[in-house]
Amino acid sequence: MAPHPSSYRPRKKRKSPLTSTGSNNALIVDDGKGKYTPAFPLVSFLWAARAGVSQWLILPLILMAVGLFRWAVSLWGYSGFQVPPMHGDFEAQRHWMEITIHLPMSKWYTYDLQYWGLDYPPLTAYHSWLLGKIGTLFDPSWFALDESRGLEDPRLKVYMRATVIVSEYLIFIPAVVNFLRRYTQMHGVPVWSASVALVAILLQPSTILIDHGHFQYNTVMLGFVAASLDAILAGRMLWACIFFVGALGFKQMALYYAPVMFAFLLGICVFPRIQLIRLLCISLVTIVAFAVLIAPLMMGAVSADARDELSSIPLPPLLETLPIELDKSSLLYTPLLQLTQVIHRIFPFARGLFEDKVANAWCAIHTFYKLHRFEATLLQRVSLGATLASILIPCAIIFRHPRASFLLPALSTVAWGFFLFSFQVHEKSVLLPLLPMTLMLSGDGGLSKETRAWVGWANMLGSWTMFPLLQRDGLRIPYFVMTLLWAYLLGLPPVSLEVYRGYRSSDDSSPLPEPHIITKLLHLCFYLAMVGWHVVEAFVPPPAGKPDLWVVLNVLIGAGGFGLAYLWCLRKLILQCWMIGRKLEKDTQKKNQ
Amino acid sequence: MLHVHYLPAFDSAPCGTAPMADIYPSLAQCAIVATAFKVLLFPAYKSTDFEVHRNWLAITHSLPVKEWYYEKTSEWTLDYPPFFAAFEWLLSQAAQYADPAMLIVKNLNYDSWQTVYFQRATVILSELFLVFALNRFIKSAPQSNKQLAHIASLSILLSPGLLIIDHIHFQYNGFMYGVLILSIVLARKQSTLLYSGIIFAILLCMKHIHLYLSLAYFVYLLRTYCLDPKSVFRPRFGNIFKLGLGVISVFGVAFGPFIYWNQLFQLKDRLFPFSRGLCHAYWAPNIWAMYSFTDRVLILLAPRLGLSINQEALTSVTRGLVGDTSFAVLPEVTKEYTFGLTFLFQVLPLIKLWRSPGDWDVFVGAITLCGYASFLFGWHVHEKAVLLIIIPFSLIALRDRRYFSAFRSLAIAGHVSLFPLLFTAAEFPIKTVYTVFWLVLFLFVFEQVAPVPERPRIFPVVDRFSLLYLAVAIPLIVYCSLLHQLIFGLERYEFLPLMFMSSYSALGVVGSWIGFMVVYFTA
Repeated sequence: MAPHPSSYRPRKKRKSPLTSTGSNNALIVDDGKGKYTPAFPLVSFLWAARAGVSQWLILPLILMAVGLFRWAVSLWGYSGFQVPPMHGDFEAQRHWMEITIHLPMSKWYTYDLQYWGLDYPPLTAYHSWLLGKIGTLFDPSWFALDESRGLEDPRLKVYMRATVIVSEYLIFIPAVVNFLRRYTQMHGVPVWSASVALVAILLQPSTILIDHGHFQYNTVMLGFVAASLDAILAGRMLWACIFFVGALGFKQMALYYAPVMFAFLLGICVFPRIQLIRLLCISLVTIVAFAVLIAPLMMGAVSADARDELSSIPLPPLLETLPIELDKSSLLYTPLLQLTQVIHRIFPFARGLFEDKVANAWCAIHTFYKLHRFEATLLQRVSLGATLASILIPCAIIFRHPRASFLLPALSTVAWGFFLFSFQVHEKSVLLPLLPMTLMLSGDGGLSKETRAWVGWANMLGSWTMFPLLQRDGLRIPYFVMTLLWAYLLGLPPVSLEVYRGYRSSDDSSPLPEPHIITKLLHLCFYLAMVGWHVVEAFVPPPAGKPDLWVVLNVLIGAGGFGLAYLWCLRKLILQCWMIGRKLEKDTQKKNQ
Repeated sequence: MLHVHYLPAFDSAPCGTAPMADIYPSLAQCAIVATAFKVLLFPAYKSTDFEVHRNWLAITHSLPVKEWYYEKTSEWTLDYPPFFAAFEWLLSQAAQYADPAMLIVKNLNYDSWQTVYFQRATVILSELFLVFALNRFIKSAPQSNKQLAHIASLSILLSPGLLIIDHIHFQYNGFMYGVLILSIVLARKQSTLLYSGIIFAILLCMKHIHLYLSLAYFVYLLRTYCLDPKSVFRPRFGNIFKLGLGVISVFGVAFGPFIYWNQLFQLKDRLFPFSRGLCHAYWAPNIWAMYSFTDRVLILLAPRLGLSINQEALTSVTRGLVGDTSFAVLPEVTKEYTFGLTFLFQVLPLIKLWRSPGDWDVFVGAITLCGYASFLFGWHVHEKAVLLIIIPFSLIALRDRRYFSAFRSLAIAGHVSLFPLLFTAAEFPIKTVYTVFWLVLFLFVFEQVAPVPERPRIFPVVDRFSLLYLAVAIPLIVYCSLLHQLIFGLERYEFLPLMFMSSYSALGVVGSWIGFMVVYFTA
């Protein structure tokens, strides 16, 4: 068979960073006397690579180095360690491996729901099944049905930690590396700057602390999203749909991104001219992908045994509300039952507006104005309305101008909107807006002081709002080490003020964006508040009547900061849109002349 | 394949006109990032050495000096020289604020998190001395070699050997190699030679394993400092007096009180426990590991060759992990043999050192070869002692490509041989990935920057050898750490991977030793 003509494309040679005039050259500071110094410490570590050392050497070294930090964090505690009877996320994930390998599919979403019942979409269930099967090869007692609950074997910990890191290296890392390669190429960013951005992105403290410390598999979902973005950049829209369905099918939180993806994919079918076939293909592929995703579960619900089992559970609310009467003996009844049960498990509308203390708008308002007094349905509607209002502008922009370069700001804006205003937000959900925002570091001028200051600040704030959670898991030291290390490498407070210090460029021909004076003041206030909060939290016990005072303070500051981050992303998106519009205008004027 | 642009990757500035610029990443930057990583390793596996040092903290803190070397509540009695005990005493002054319970002699195997954090932190903090010494080393290098010195310093600072032994297994090598490096650096200039000698004497009073290097110091100081460089027959009495006074007063301070209390024999027994066997529990990769391996092979072949087998030894041989090795076919090795061989192979390079007064490179080469001789032929050698070769060698490995090619197989073998020190699953990725990271990074960079030798290479074969050697490393590690367990399970033939590893590493160390001997004598 002859190879497909498009499957082989020679990799484009890019210019050496030293000769190109790319605007990302903010990495090298020229003191005007012919002496060049790295702008911030991370650049120093890749200093030797600036003359164009092969990616075959740089990339493995980067991946090994960031992998070492991940594994070192994973030596520390995890959520729910020695906290019977429920333990935490670690136990939940282990328990899912246990039930998926021992029970028929019809029982996956119904088995003993009080003890960490499966409440993630099917891909997580399949993933758990695979990991459980592999783990059983090492030691079956780790996943013995019911017997293994709350198991804390150190070897089990090593195995579970290894599954997180392997899943990440199989999905997240390749996706991000490929995305960056394409994205930087698109923006004319030199390879060297791309490597610097890659390290910054892969050392993002919040993701490492949650996945490898607290214990979750967020990077799998985030990896699918990155793969989907990569496919969009490559122009393979159908693959983008498939990957995005993968993300949704792994963790429902990917819904934060869904409006933008939807608006974008719809946009490319409508503008500049309506392409019905494309629209048809995209919707068809999406539907098929979803069908493939749930097919095994549906098949599992058809057999006679499954029929008995599923009939015994209480009717899922979704099915109860259906206006039509269902024929219980029909062949389709049990798959429908299964499907509605899965949906019911994944979207628990019955829970409150927010869980625990989370730095979003509702929790912040609740501090001053108790929201219990309203009915749950009213709150749900208000929350829905606020969320829709917050995502309307970015979605409209991305729909009207479906350009790949708008995706990152649009995704972060919408994800911030969801985080701030939607229903049932978890403090860990902050990873979602942080990912596209951090990926902006690789864009044109992404490592300039302005972007670096904002992205760095949002990440520091995001990790900081998770501190109460991380502290409970015994991750205090990894938290400080990873956040301070990241701040150090990127030249951020509290380690350094580099990013806010203006510097004299020898040639003023291309002034790089620097943070505005108001930005500087705002950020510094937030950094001061964070440092002050840590000092107070560590040394001053909260007043007697208010044991949660420090956490509430954390939430309030965090919510304010995230609101700012939302506004910045929105501003960035509008600004980009406006710039491109102006550029197009100029081009047309030139043509007309 | 690697497509490497042979650009001056470590060149100082983007355009050639610039003056000598600073080199990045700087020592401090690397130290900061490495420290972050080491702090994350706090909860990692720790060996009995952790308890050893905790016990010493307790002994030095709660007992009068007189009883330090008599105390034996714990099996890990104090067996380092007095200055190290004083160092522990110093640490114990701070330890009482972290957790006073660790300072109670009877609290055996006490490891509260405060104790762990405290002891791990002292290792990291004391390693700052290494950073200081390396900084002095870079400063002492001539301007044209600054960049090479910088790279060599980074390789020592980030050494996987120090990471594995100090920050996971638990010891204070980083600090003590810092003292050694400082002493070597001070030997570079005639004006600071005296301090070099005194600091080496202090080092001897901290860890007596450095006695193995003392002959090189003795010859160098005698020839370069005490005698006139131009003529052997013109002693410089002033210098002899100064050095003698300095060294004697260091030893006087260290051992004087114990001599006064008549405890010298007790100290000798503690510091030199000769009752141990030829090979350490895990075989260090030296001549005796190869000897044992040959013996084991001969057991299998003996019936065919008609050799007689010592049946008594056979039972112990198959266990493989015993400290007291005895040989079934080959003749026994006595302490006298090992001392004789060590001495012989130390004296050979010293002859050249004697004949080249004031040549610092030869001096460091001689130190390295003394380290080699003691490691390869010594009695009861620890695998950790391989740092005694690697660290001095790193200082001169970038002299030119011939040095580097001898260094390469040592770097691989020496670090791989440390793997058995950590046998827990959680630390496996750290030791392997970190070592591979270091090897890839530094062997590549060394390859790029090592200057071409003035004289052509005598043995291009050495290069082929080291390449082949490198190629074997990966399948061997995979076999020893994964495949063996899958094939034979955890219990059966557990000595096999260890034997393969140490024989393989021994081959590398011996190969690099021969290679370096050739380079040393022909340079």
